[in-house]
Amino acid sequence: MQISMREVKPMSKSDQTIAVVGLSGRFDAHEVPQVRQALMQATNRTKGHVVIDLGGVNFIDSSGLACLVQGMKYCREHGADQILCNLQQPVRIIFELTRLDRAFKIMVSVEEATTALAA
Amino acid sequence: MPTPKLRLAIITTHPPGKGSLNEYAYHFVRFLRQKEEVGEVILLPDALPQGQTYYLEPRQGHAPVRVIPCWAFGAKDNALRIRAAVQQTDPDAVLFNIQFATFGNRKVAATLGLTAPYLIKRAGYPTIVLLHNIMETINLRSAGFAGNAFVESVMRFFGTQVTRLLLKADMVAVTIPKYVEILESKYKATNVLLAPHGAFEDTPQPSFELPPGPIKILAFGKFGTYKKVETLIEAFKLLQDDSRPPLELVIAGTDSPNAPGYLESVRRRYADVPNIRYTGYVAEQDVPRIFGEAAVVVFPYTSTTGSSGVLHQAGDYGKAAVLPYIGDLAEVIAEEGYSGEFFEPGNPHSLATAIARVIDDPERRRALGQQNWRASRGLPIAEVVDWYLLHFETLIARRQTGTARRLPAT
Repeated sequence: MQISMREVKPMSKSDQTIAVVGLSGRFDAHEVPQVRQALMQATNRTKGHVVIDLGGVNFIDSSGLACLVQGMKYCREHGADQILCNLQQPVRIIFELTRLDRAFKIMVSVEEATTALAA
Repeated sequence: MPTPKLRLAIITTHPPGKGSLNEYAYHFVRFLRQKEEVGEVILLPDALPQGQTYYLEPRQGHAPVRVIPCWAFGAKDNALRIRAAVQQTDPDAVLFNIQFATFGNRKVAATLGLTAPYLIKRAGYPTIVLLHNIMETINLRSAGFAGNAFVESVMRFFGTQVTRLLLKADMVAVTIPKYVEILESKYKATNVLLAPHGAFEDTPQPSFELPPGPIKILAFGKFGTYKKVETLIEAFKLLQDDSRPPLELVIAGTDSPNAPGYLESVRRRYADVPNIRYTGYVAEQDVPRIFGEAAVVVFPYTSTTGSSGVLHQAGDYGKAAVLPYIGDLAEVIAEEGYSGEFFEPGNPHSLATAIARVIDDPERRRALGQQNWRASRGLPIAEVVDWYLLHFETLIARRQTGTARRLPAT
């Protein structure tokens, strides 16, 4: 799995930075430790919100979902928010099957997510 | 301002109660009370026999557990009793950890009990039902719930109505994707979700070697309905010959609540078969030893009524499994990465052959044990609990955005 991270500063009254973590490839138990670490780093570095771009993820299993749940909890514990975006069809199906699509904030694109977080 | 912590009620069986799903509840509650966002767990189990009490040790940093035994297996007024207990304790949300025979072995009691989630939802509490089996995949006749085709069709009709009632809960969680598919297609349900069963123990890699002494063949569970040991004992007789090291058959567990007296009748019937040990009820602290000593775990099922907690335990302890290739069990095996030797249900020769393939081949035994251990590592129940908390938070938040704290059921 490939993981990228960048920071964006949306135009808003607050000067808070948003971390955008991009994931691509297969997201299963083997990838969880590095993704978990990346999400924690993203929250710690920006002290703020995290957008996870799942556009390149073509498979996710229960361990991957659990990792995102943990990421959201970690964000919340730090007073921040986490938004997922760019879900591909196979990944979206898993979110719908587990109804986690109702628990996560999910948006279409990184731009939409960062705009929502900056508002 | 800090977020108020959740007060969650759970309707379930729980050790030392011996009802089905007690073990699952034990582990679920164990991890639930360790979660930061949980302020109190209100355990609403069935009443214990006289002289027994529930005891959950208070632990530093863990949420307190209040135990209110409020229903009785087989009673017809369980739903009302449960509703009264929920209203009295007024939790933020309610979880039912149930299957179709949780509330009784008679049709009326079992059915009336299953109306409880609907009543709780009607009373205005966010409600999730964790349903471990569904009527559509139970072979009612071989599971011992229906004696003939007419009774079976009547039961299926009522089962359908009860399922409709259960689906009135805010959410219904099941552990097998096929169940989601069935409930969505047959009932047009939009509130069913898949939640993994979860691995009970966060154990280190077990030893795949055997202790000295006889080779132990283990059957673990609650016996008498669809888990019957006669075929296993017949197979065990076939396996005990001079060509093998000494064997021991360990039948660990109790009668199913739906089949009182079953194991005693088996014990009498097979009194002449040597090297069989009936352990009776296995206390939680003895479970690791019982599994650890076994060479193979056998599933002498004639049918299944849901995913198997025992299979997950066999995986936790790195044990090879011998399984009937039927129903849900096959589904779990295929979908969760478990493996084993398979036998034709009810056929002692087939079962003996399957067991022999494991115990006569240490390499095969170890390979199966390792595969099952890896499969059981899938997702610890501690993380599954987080999913439920997330769903509860979503439900509660959804309600709080409404005008009233509690909304009437739809």
